[in-house]
Amino acid sequence: MHELSPLLAFVQDQLQIAALLFMAVVYALKIRWIFRFPAARDRQERTGDPATSARKGAAYSLVNVAMPWAMPSTRQHLLFYTQFVIFHLAVAASITMSFLIPYAPETIASSAAVRLLQALFAAAVLVGLWRLIRRVRDPYIRAISTPDDYFSLSLLIVWFGFSILAAPNQPQEGEWPLMVYFVLTAFFLVYVPFSKISHYLYYPFARWYLGKTLGYRGVYPVKRGGETPA
Amino acid sequence: MTQRTTMQATRCWKAERVIERLHEKVTRQMVLSLEACVHCGLCTDQCHYVLANPGDVTYAPAYKAGSIRKFFKAHIDWTGRLFPWWVGARGLYTDAELEDLKDTVFGKCTNCRRCALNCPMGVDQATFNRMARGLLTYVGVMPEGVAVAAKDQWEIGNQMGVLPEDYLETLQWMEEELQSEYGDPTISIPLDKPDCDVVYAINPREIKYDPRTVAEAAAIFHFAGENWTMTRVGWDMTNFGLFNGDDELGAAIAGRVYDEVERLGGKKLVLSECGHGYRSTRCEGPNWGRRTTPFPMESSVVTMLRYIKEGRIQVDKTKNTEPVTYHDSCNNARSCGFFEEPRELLSYVVTDFREMYPNRAENYCCTGGGGAMSMSEYSQRRLKSAKIKAEQLQATGAKIVVTSCHNCVDGLFDLIRHYKLGMEVRLLVNLVAKALVAPAGPLPAPPLA
Repeated sequence: MHELSPLLAFVQDQLQIAALLFMAVVYALKIRWIFRFPAARDRQERTGDPATSARKGAAYSLVNVAMPWAMPSTRQHLLFYTQFVIFHLAVAASITMSFLIPYAPETIASSAAVRLLQALFAAAVLVGLWRLIRRVRDPYIRAISTPDDYFSLSLLIVWFGFSILAAPNQPQEGEWPLMVYFVLTAFFLVYVPFSKISHYLYYPFARWYLGKTLGYRGVYPVKRGGETPA
Repeated sequence: MTQRTTMQATRCWKAERVIERLHEKVTRQMVLSLEACVHCGLCTDQCHYVLANPGDVTYAPAYKAGSIRKFFKAHIDWTGRLFPWWVGARGLYTDAELEDLKDTVFGKCTNCRRCALNCPMGVDQATFNRMARGLLTYVGVMPEGVAVAAKDQWEIGNQMGVLPEDYLETLQWMEEELQSEYGDPTISIPLDKPDCDVVYAINPREIKYDPRTVAEAAAIFHFAGENWTMTRVGWDMTNFGLFNGDDELGAAIAGRVYDEVERLGGKKLVLSECGHGYRSTRCEGPNWGRRTTPFPMESSVVTMLRYIKEGRIQVDKTKNTEPVTYHDSCNNARSCGFFEEPRELLSYVVTDFREMYPNRAENYCCTGGGGAMSMSEYSQRRLKSAKIKAEQLQATGAKIVVTSCHNCVDGLFDLIRHYKLGMEVRLLVNLVAKALVAPAGPLPAPPLA
């Protein structure tokens, strides 16, 4: 068994924990900040289909992400939706991997697991590059982009790239891929709360409130009447 | 001194007030919507303005939202205050910036809410766009037509400035017309009758431009044997508070209607066909006024449908044989879930119904929504963006487009004329009245409660 250098042992353990704690503290502050604002509420009698409710609307809204057919914007852009799925699965996989490598390396030790992860990360790199090109070339997207948008996307592309190299977890072949991967992960965790990447913190709240309102008003779950004649 | 500090020192009075007001008006839902956008652009081609103006990025929903988001971030969001350039935050300073904002939030968005229903993150742009309208209204920066209608609603009690004399005279005229038409001197349009089962509130457009709709509703109430009344004051169920973002106006106007129903001991408030009026009075009024209403409210569409189902009125659908399609008002469909009842009612009164695609909550705006019909400075923009609706209408092959909204009637009429579609626009009450079969014998007794 290869013994890790003290620096690598530090960056994949204590540094990650410190970064996670920092992120958790900032997130807690953000949530506290959001809840300082008064929530609008529906005092009126409910409207629409009596079979719907605020609770059903909220549930529908929250799982909307897994229903590409639910919105014209996703069902008309299935390729974009597929990219979204790949990209976010890769984020979840890489974050999970950052825990598994130091604490349960055997779970992803098989060559099949490594290949699967590498394929996912490689696909995410391609998706990320495609999205970066789109952000630069599409005038609509360029017009709404901020420096944070470009940086966050670039950061993730690089992070996915190093995730490919880190997935085999072979420090005996050279520690630098793991070192860079974990340093990037720590930076990612610290940077996320200040960037657009923190959207996943807002997602459940934003969708819950929208779903609650639209469910109470009988709009959610959306009753589709079709886009073209049957 | 940096440029920003210099500009801060010279921030105009109105911008100062807007920023102060922003802190008061922003809700948790708005904060989440303003924070959650990831600039993915999926909303872009879901907006009729974008579809009709390809290449003009300023119509993109996320771009329009960005014009509000940037000053929210600069003044409230802490990342925006710490790193403004990095996250696209920029404060409001000048009168010119307020004018630009007005052009965006009033002139490039009808608050139709279609982008909200197409946002993967659940960003409800229409809600904070309305809030931004309210901030501008607070400092008097708004289209002239909106200012005039709001002033009339504050001062005269209805958005079209109909004077009490004209209102009463028109109702009397319609009553006489009905009596003559049906040869029945007992048909009446009751006013301020206490303890009625139905209090009926209308859109002032009906008095001013289309009084036949009041007469048609009165005939339907009469033949249904309804115990109903209209009111001398508080009869305007429309509400420019929804359009100009002024919650105080919204609460006052809706409150006047509620107060009259309570004063008269009315058991139910029935609202004439108007999308924004229905939404304002039925759904938003209690929230703006922070009150509950002790009586139920319903659209007249639901009332007419119930009369038919209960056999209180008889209709003959062969009186409406021309092909008909239905346009869902945005406020009805996307903010009140009101889209099945009109279709069910149509199934009783027309023989040839043709669905429009997309429809219900996915329908496109008539382009006259959000008060756009009162903003003549944006008329050309509105009509250009109406191309999408025109194509939708044309694809149905219908001769008549029916809607349940007076505002949509005007918007649709305008675009039909502009694009030479040769269609007619009708309200449901028009078709029900046309299909109405006047009973030969005594009127049916209302069912026991």
